[in-house]
Amino acid sequence: MVIIINYILATGILTLPRASVEKVKTPDVWISVFLGGIVAMIAGVIIVKLSQQYPDKTFYQYNQDIVGKWLGWLISLFVIVYFFTISAFEVRIMAEVTSLFLLEGTPTWAIILPFLWVGLYLISGGINSIGRLFEIIFPITFVIFLLVAFLSIGIFEIDNLRPVLGLGVMPMLKGIKTATLAFLGPEIMLLLVAFMYPSDKKKAVKVVLVGIAIPLLFYVITVVMVIGALSIEGVMTRTWPTIELMRSFEIPGLIFERFESFLLVIWIMQIFATFTITYYAAALGLAQLFKKSMHPFLYGLLPIIYIIAMTPKNINDLFKFGDNIGHAALFLFGALPITLLLISKLKGNKA
Amino acid sequence: MWENLISYMPHWQVFMQGFVAFIIPFLIFKLFNGLLLEKKKNGKIEMKEYTNQQESDQQFSQETVDQFIGDFNKDFERMKKELGHNWDVHFREFQIGATDIRAAIIFLDGLADTEQINKHILNSIMERFSNTSASFFTEGDKLQSIMKNNISIRDVLEESTVQGTVGKVLTGYTALFVDGMPNALMLCTINGKTRNIEEPISEAVVRGPRVGFTEKLSDNTALLRQQGENQQLSILQMEVGKRVKKRLVIAYMDEIVDPELVEEVKKRIQKIDLDNLLESGYIEQLIEDNYLSPFTQVQNTERPDRVYGALMEGRVAILLDGTPFALIVPVTINMLLQSPEDYYERWLPSSLIRLLRYLAAGITLFAPSLYIAFVSFHQGLIPTKLALSMMATREGVPFPALIEALIMEVAIEILREAGLRLPKPIGPTMGIVGGLVIGEAAVQAGIVSPIMVIVVALTAISSFAIPQYNAGITLRMLRFVAMISAALFGLYGIILFFLFLCSHLVKLKSFGVPYVSPTVPYRVGDWKDFMVRMPLMTMKRRPKLLQPKDSVRKGEIRGKENYSHDHQSKR
Repeated sequence: MVIIINYILATGILTLPRASVEKVKTPDVWISVFLGGIVAMIAGVIIVKLSQQYPDKTFYQYNQDIVGKWLGWLISLFVIVYFFTISAFEVRIMAEVTSLFLLEGTPTWAIILPFLWVGLYLISGGINSIGRLFEIIFPITFVIFLLVAFLSIGIFEIDNLRPVLGLGVMPMLKGIKTATLAFLGPEIMLLLVAFMYPSDKKKAVKVVLVGIAIPLLFYVITVVMVIGALSIEGVMTRTWPTIELMRSFEIPGLIFERFESFLLVIWIMQIFATFTITYYAAALGLAQLFKKSMHPFLYGLLPIIYIIAMTPKNINDLFKFGDNIGHAALFLFGALPITLLLISKLKGNKA
Repeated sequence: MWENLISYMPHWQVFMQGFVAFIIPFLIFKLFNGLLLEKKKNGKIEMKEYTNQQESDQQFSQETVDQFIGDFNKDFERMKKELGHNWDVHFREFQIGATDIRAAIIFLDGLADTEQINKHILNSIMERFSNTSASFFTEGDKLQSIMKNNISIRDVLEESTVQGTVGKVLTGYTALFVDGMPNALMLCTINGKTRNIEEPISEAVVRGPRVGFTEKLSDNTALLRQQGENQQLSILQMEVGKRVKKRLVIAYMDEIVDPELVEEVKKRIQKIDLDNLLESGYIEQLIEDNYLSPFTQVQNTERPDRVYGALMEGRVAILLDGTPFALIVPVTINMLLQSPEDYYERWLPSSLIRLLRYLAAGITLFAPSLYIAFVSFHQGLIPTKLALSMMATREGVPFPALIEALIMEVAIEILREAGLRLPKPIGPTMGIVGGLVIGEAAVQAGIVSPIMVIVVALTAISSFAIPQYNAGITLRMLRFVAMISAALFGLYGIILFFLFLCSHLVKLKSFGVPYVSPTVPYRVGDWKDFMVRMPLMTMKRRPKLLQPKDSVRKGEIRGKENYSHDHQSKR
């Protein structure tokens, strides 16, 4: 459960307000986010159902059973590419934000390389270590996030959120797709169900629902706060509205006057979480596809991730890149699991 | 289209960097793997040699006749040949009572109790038989039983081999030879030098028993037994050391401990293959899981109550003869920040103190690095006034923050180390005076800024608030790593360091138990005794992570719990 939460919570917190506001252009974004979360939940449940058909296997192993060897191989390859692309994307976003807010002037490679290595070190401990690390950083994230969010209540103006549904339902619906993209994450259940304890496997659906519900809460709080404080126009003109929000208020008297450092701390931790789990998923996929041990793939993926991360030329490229990943995800983890589930049900009935 | 694609082709430098990204961790991995492999190989080879040696030893002992012949003169001569060159071995020949039957005792001066030898051995043999005639003894078998029944010593053993007798004499037994008796009698007169039971210096408490272990193993096990009548406390004896044999005991609670854990501990101790183990630190280093980790994976303590508490939680204790430090396994990270006192005081104060310790640990680890990060990278993140005053005090300082911090930290570490070695009355004064003087003078000389001195002082004090000495050292050591990463990458470096530390910790295990538990995986039941200590009445169960056989501490829920636990173990 914690893995999903940590996986979902990543870039979204910083960019979701702007991305969705650009699409919706009304203050009803938070409703879109909410609906997006529900869409993600549906997708998550489908994925879990699919995985429960083959409780002891990961997606890479059982898709060949469903659609045949070659097609399954191809699908696995796509999924693997997706996973390591997304991990590269996360790393690059992290590097961009860090060099903008924390380390001006430090070259990107110097930021990325240590990050990759620490990730590698963690992953070589296997899925249990990853899970435990996530369990450590989740409470930290939770506490700090709530603290920061509620500190910003001072500049929150409810008027910025009005009127509710003032321009009708359509703009809100437009935002759903963008919002759903922020909830990428349940797809990891394709792999994780295989690692769960037998007694917990039945609870997998609940796990997914809770796992999405918590990020959903985070996102709604973020969007409401950001729009409430900066107004629609303010959000659209800023690249990282959430950090701008944290920068825009000061609370004298405490040790720190500005809280964006706190937000960045937890945010980097969350990026680390997303990065490691996708990296792990990709390496695991390769290992199972070629039926070899995971270590060579772990090391082999490092330069690939690095090169992909360095490919986008500037931040706009990067966001486009992110959108494309999102679309790929919609296809891979929205449409594909349903099809696979149907096929496996049909096959199951025949047998 | 093509041009567009080509424009996305990364520069060749990126490929180079990608290669670097791959090669460095790969090399490190190879290096460590190589180290580990080498260690394993060495272990194996040594094992083989060892077994070979054992075999040859056995052959040797089979070939030469090691048994006593039964002839007094020859046997006694052999013993003299084996032991006579030692200054502290004494041989005493005499005749039994008024008869002319010859007898002799061999004992080690200092280790054997002279009073017992005089009173109970020599006295009883020489005087009691002054009226009996020689013929009374001469029937071979009878002699031995007469001797056994007339010597008032609590332990009397028969020994038929030369080697066995030599070994026993060297540990303090007195060997008795009588003409016509086939075996030697070993009389237990051990009285080694020990010191009194004192309050442990390394783990002082305000409230709690003032008892610490001593160097004598039997005293230490007695201290454990004294904690109260308990039939489940098992104390197993083992022997370690190839050349110098030492006794070692493993203590655990029979019905609480996870049997696999005991087996694992035994297995690891049997693997120890070393001439001599001077202190339990040797064992600690030879049985720990990961010798590359900076964290201690075995806890050591001088306090019997602490050991007993750990035993009642389902842990295993290892006590070695000759050292007051007992080892406790497995260890989890929260144990390093606990003191037995936490349980003796009421729960609110001890919870507060425990939280304070966590804070102190955090300060020890991160305070100087945060200072470096804020001063050299993120002046904008601290309040403007503070930033201004910090900058103002730093104006005259010619060094970057890292060098400044390193100067002070190293100075204080040296002071601490020097304070340890100094004679007791001088030590504390020296430390305080040295710290103050150096700090004051360094500020005035413009080498460091006053705020740096505050940070360093705070860090040093915090590091002493950690109840476990070696855990404090670990944190102090890691602090320097944190400082360097902060100097390289600022706040980002600290986050990376934190993540790296967490990654290491979650991978670490101590005897099969994850080191970071009970933090993760979430076991809310175990959290009652983690950062805070909940009231004793709520702590009804033992920590689950040790998989105790009987998980209930308090009576109320016993029936149900046992049932459900049986259920679990079946599964």
